[in-house]
Amino acid sequence: MEIKVNGELKQIVNDSIAVPGILKLFNVEAPDMVSVQLNGEFLDRKNFDSTLIKEKDEIEFLYFMGGGK
Amino acid sequence: MKGFASKAIHGASIKKDLQGALRFPLYDSVAFEFDSSRDIELAFEGKKPAHAYSRITNPTVEDFEQKIRLVSDAFGVVAVSSGMAAITEVILALAETGSNIITSPFLFGNTISLFTKTFKRWGLEVRYADMTDPLSIDKAINDRTRLIFLETITNPQLEVANFADITAIAGKHNVPVVVDGTLTTPYLFRSKDAGIALEIISTTKYITGGATSIGGVIIDNGVFDWRKNPGLSSDAIKVGPAALVMRLRREIHRNVGSCMSPHNAWLQALGLETVALRIDKSSANALAVAQFLHTQKKVMLVNYPGLLSNTFHDNANRQFSGKFGGILTFELKSKEECFRFMDSLTLVRRATNINDNKTLIIHPASTIFTDYTVDDRERMRVNDRLIRLSVGIEDLEDIVEDFQHGLDKL
Repeated sequence: MEIKVNGELKQIVNDSIAVPGILKLFNVEAPDMVSVQLNGEFLDRKNFDSTLIKEKDEIEFLYFMGGGK
Repeated sequence: MKGFASKAIHGASIKKDLQGALRFPLYDSVAFEFDSSRDIELAFEGKKPAHAYSRITNPTVEDFEQKIRLVSDAFGVVAVSSGMAAITEVILALAETGSNIITSPFLFGNTISLFTKTFKRWGLEVRYADMTDPLSIDKAINDRTRLIFLETITNPQLEVANFADITAIAGKHNVPVVVDGTLTTPYLFRSKDAGIALEIISTTKYITGGATSIGGVIIDNGVFDWRKNPGLSSDAIKVGPAALVMRLRREIHRNVGSCMSPHNAWLQALGLETVALRIDKSSANALAVAQFLHTQKKVMLVNYPGLLSNTFHDNANRQFSGKFGGILTFELKSKEECFRFMDSLTLVRRATNINDNKTLIIHPASTIFTDYTVDDRERMRVNDRLIRLSVGIEDLEDIVEDFQHGLDKL
């Protein structure tokens, strides 16, 4: 499926992937500190495991360095 | 890891040191290099976790911030140059000209000065309420109120409010509660569990580990919806719970320049590792000293929340894990007696600091509160007969012997 990651179009083969899988797939640095925005909404960290990524989803990885979760 | 000490010692290291150093190294560098222009662009957009310039973030400072975040179970932490800088950044982030804050008349002298002199000139209204009287707080709040500010143990009155009452009223009005937890730290008081939005701490005190360096932290517990703050609401819609940390990091903290030095962060991360031991010891010493002073005929009054007879004993005992910290006050007959007593001490040091490893003594009316009128001081319960003690971690018998010696000179 096609998704947008940090503004760039990406093709992924896995049709059933949750947020932790996306973090791993795109080698996101410092995954314990990253904030994830999915289609403009910030995801609560506790919902990462249960949030499945769908076709055309737009994901942003953001860091609020120095203490930001 | 569940325990406070384990978390403080083993920390929340997010990056392994290249050399495998067990103690996170001191990164004494102003700027950090990037492999490509795209990398530095991503870092500035917040899409790459990297340090660019130490006024904004620094690896050693970040290590300290992460340790504080772990021990307080907070959402985010920003370390700053002092406790006063922490209060200043919070007010700048949450309030604006024409708005007001609700606070107690019982505050650290420089905090009162910051509110009533410095911020007053920029149009901030300071409204006072009795933090032990929920109705008083309720009446003071209006639609221009941006926060409620109080100290977990007021200095030097040693008043302890019931935080559940305050957070309930604040919640009703959509206003965050900000506490100065310097005298308690997250070891004694779990501010997140009490529903406190922000905790600021002067890490210069207990956390520094022996008065080595100046510092402060702003702890965002992640329990307040920042959409309810007019100045942060648009950011909160975009970045959710990160709105305050982002505002601090990308505007207030960066622009004000009140950053913690990497040296201080290194020292304070070391101090954090032993803070539980030192608070246990100073609390035990302070209780014993308060009990000793309580039996002395030359001592008119002893104020320590650890004493069963103290008005705030129940509040402190319930909210502070059964320990009461190292600060107590007592009264002698006159200012002259106070000075004679203090000048006869040989172990206890005359100095304006608290929560050092050394026991420290000061006469607040003639020092920290000297800029205030006698009437103002009386309202703040800082009279000429009052002495403040910060009990350290020396051997108890030596502290008591010194006080006995001082009292014998009166």
